[in-house]
Amino acid sequence: MVLGGLYALFAVGLTLIFGVLDVINVAHGEFFAVGGYLVFAALVLLHLPPAAGVAVAGLGAFLLGLAVYPLLIGPLKRRLGRRPAGSLYLVLTLGLSTFLQSSLLAVAGGEYVRVPPLVSGILEIGSTGVSHQRLLVVTVAALLLAGLFAFLRWHREGLAVRAVAQNPEAAQAMGISLTRIFVLTLGLGAGLAGVGGALMAPLFNVYPAVGFPLTIKAFAITILGGMGNLVGALLASLIIGVAESLVVMAIPSQWQNGVAFVVMIIVLLLRPQGLLGRATSR
Amino acid sequence: MSGARFRSLRRLVLCAGGVVVALLPALAPHPFVLSLATQAVIWALLASSWDLLSGYTGQISFGHAGFFALGAYTAAGMAKHLGLSPWLGLLLGTGGAALVGVGVGFPALRLRGHYLALVTLALAELIRLSAQNWLSVTGGPFGMYDFGTFPGLPAGAVARAQATYLLVVAVVAGAVAVMLYVCRRTRAGQAFRAIREDEVLAESLGINTTVYKLLAFALSSGFAGLAGGLYAFYIQLVSPTVASAATTSLVIGMAVFGGLGTIWGPALGALLLFAVNEALRFVGVVYNLVAVGLTIMVFVIFLPRGLAGLALRRQRLTVRRDALRAEEDAEPGQPEQVTGATPSAEDPRSTA
Amino acid sequence: MLEVAGLRSGYGRLEILRGASLRLPAGSIVGLIGPNGAGKSTLLKTIFGYLRPFAGAITLEGRSLVGLRPDQIMQLGVGFVAQAGGLFADMTVHENLLVGGYSLGSRGELRAALEDVYARFPLFRERRQQPAASLSGGEQRALALARALVIRPRVLLLDEPSAALAPRFIEEVYETIRALNRSGIALLIVEQNVEMILSVAHRVFVLDLGRNAFDGTPAELRGSDRIRRLYLGEGSRAGIPA
Repeated sequence: MVLGGLYALFAVGLTLIFGVLDVINVAHGEFFAVGGYLVFAALVLLHLPPAAGVAVAGLGAFLLGLAVYPLLIGPLKRRLGRRPAGSLYLVLTLGLSTFLQSSLLAVAGGEYVRVPPLVSGILEIGSTGVSHQRLLVVTVAALLLAGLFAFLRWHREGLAVRAVAQNPEAAQAMGISLTRIFVLTLGLGAGLAGVGGALMAPLFNVYPAVGFPLTIKAFAITILGGMGNLVGALLASLIIGVAESLVVMAIPSQWQNGVAFVVMIIVLLLRPQGLLGRATSR
Repeated sequence: MSGARFRSLRRLVLCAGGVVVALLPALAPHPFVLSLATQAVIWALLASSWDLLSGYTGQISFGHAGFFALGAYTAAGMAKHLGLSPWLGLLLGTGGAALVGVGVGFPALRLRGHYLALVTLALAELIRLSAQNWLSVTGGPFGMYDFGTFPGLPAGAVARAQATYLLVVAVVAGAVAVMLYVCRRTRAGQAFRAIREDEVLAESLGINTTVYKLLAFALSSGFAGLAGGLYAFYIQLVSPTVASAATTSLVIGMAVFGGLGTIWGPALGALLLFAVNEALRFVGVVYNLVAVGLTIMVFVIFLPRGLAGLALRRQRLTVRRDALRAEEDAEPGQPEQVTGATPSAEDPRSTA
Repeated sequence: MLEVAGLRSGYGRLEILRGASLRLPAGSIVGLIGPNGAGKSTLLKTIFGYLRPFAGAITLEGRSLVGLRPDQIMQLGVGFVAQAGGLFADMTVHENLLVGGYSLGSRGELRAALEDVYARFPLFRERRQQPAASLSGGEQRALALARALVIRPRVLLLDEPSAALAPRFIEEVYETIRALNRSGIALLIVEQNVEMILSVAHRVFVLDLGRNAFDGTPAELRGSDRIRRLYLGEGSRAGIPA
């Protein structure tokens, strides 16, 4: 459940970016890692209260995400004009991923960074206990995602985001500035990942490459849910989260990460559009 | 400068470069330098092999580290567990990687663009996970060592380094030559280009895209495996990190730097970038990857055809100038030719 | 009101328009016809900023539009309805209209504008919550028009409003077009359906191979044997030349 919530925060942001910009953000995991490091800095170095720490992490990741379009994707888009991009955006975000990861390595060093729990205590449910930290993750994730969906459904800018995702040219004709929406979307996606990183930091160790396995899993999740489909990403996150937890009981835990990959490969072979995607690929 | 003259100038530069590469053991008989050079050459092979599949045929692979690792582990494993000769190990490593490549190619036939990239990325990760956890076969996180190296090498550090270097260069040069030959002079190469440009059109023209795509996969992954095997016997240590995303990143960075879709461009890019990489190691191991990331981003945006593109740009400019002149000479009212250069084999991103 | 002079435009290095010109006087309907590939859609897209012209001038009441983005041009009171409508298929009728009013400042303005649109198209009031994709072809086209009207444009650019519609729906669409014109909107309409456009336009421009071939009133077009033969599909060259 915890995993599912975390994956959801991550995968929904990734899917949002893909749906709106048609770009797969290979560097998404790095926003997660940045969130982890920021919460460490906030809590351990600056001694801020936990809530502020998470907020700082989310905000920091958000700002970083805002910069991605103007600095990278925008210039590439402009230079490409109407030419098909092929793999270029993928390679670009791969470069960003390498850059961010190794920058984190350079700045923070490669050792694991420990972050103290944001909340302490254990909730007893029947015969098992669930740490408050884990509950916090699920709660915050649920709240944020609910907020995101509400924003997209009812807010004027959220409507604009959906419009751009469905038909960028028509959206322009309605007076929507594509650049603004792209920038906003990247910021939102990054911010969600950053919060995820902050929430998970106490439960897992933080290190520069912590985002990478998550990124690949998120790809698997988005493919399972149907690329570009937010609800699909949400569902798929929960499914994979639960599946992983169950599978761990049967096979050694080091292979846990492999579950998502196997799922991805199976989905691609049998039903490439995923659970909720449309039959024609974008 | 006319196109033809420029081509011959470029050929001259390449030949000069080739001479330097061949004579390096004599020019710089220092084991450390030769060691770096040997590694650089191995990377050149890996980068070219990636380019064959992704740049030239347009099938984007984000998991070439996986084929590299397969080749390395197979070669090392054969030598260590079965006591086979390294040459046989190399061959098996190449073949094994090629087989897996074809295996990946089958489902890939149905996948487009980013799906393929994601699947290959996942595959490489699976391979890395296997390498890390399959203790009995792969030695786990610490990897394999103790499986010997190329037979028949002279004793003495310098001579040994020189011999190893020449050996590797010979193999790599041969491999790259084969790739270039296939791409430039055979029908397969034409098919590869056609598939990259417009797969649907290629199919309708009667090109069996399935066969050629699988061939590209086989060649590309096979040569990546060869690079892996060479690497294994050279470094004499194989660990799961060879299958890491950092490896793939580095390879793609080299290819983008050198020029996608040219085969020789990525090889050149690999040599140069590796040199830069190592030079930066003196500043701090970490910073070289930062530079790689920066390089990828900057080049993708501003110099997508890499260094090869710089060389080719002059050629394209002259062709465009001639085309424009032809248009001005046409009488008004006549239907005019489409302006611009016709897509050349070395232009991986010709306009649609 | 809207003037285009010597426009050269195209895609990448492919030049499609080779010096086209036209004028859209305020409050009039101007048609743009011609064979496939002549550049009619290209002209419309260039005017609205989807394409950047290689050369030439585009002015709206004296103000140059060249270099402006579509969302900027729209703010000047120009609406654009793409071929096949360009609706947001996963949104409801109401949401589509809401997006149409995105640029309006206050909620009050938005509400009033939507009221006007619902008044003009009562059909949509009942269907507000219906997904746009579930409407019939004619209704979708009407929705696209309605959406463009939310901001009360002074100029409307329509790209083949009758494309892929059953004749009954085409009639309805053109009735709406007439009504819009009566309320003062100037319309520039690209059409393959020559008969319909000749029946509403004040003036028609004919484009061929990226250049102006002819322009005049519908009567003048019908009056010329050559034009009838070449572009109106009569005589020896039946159908539109490729």
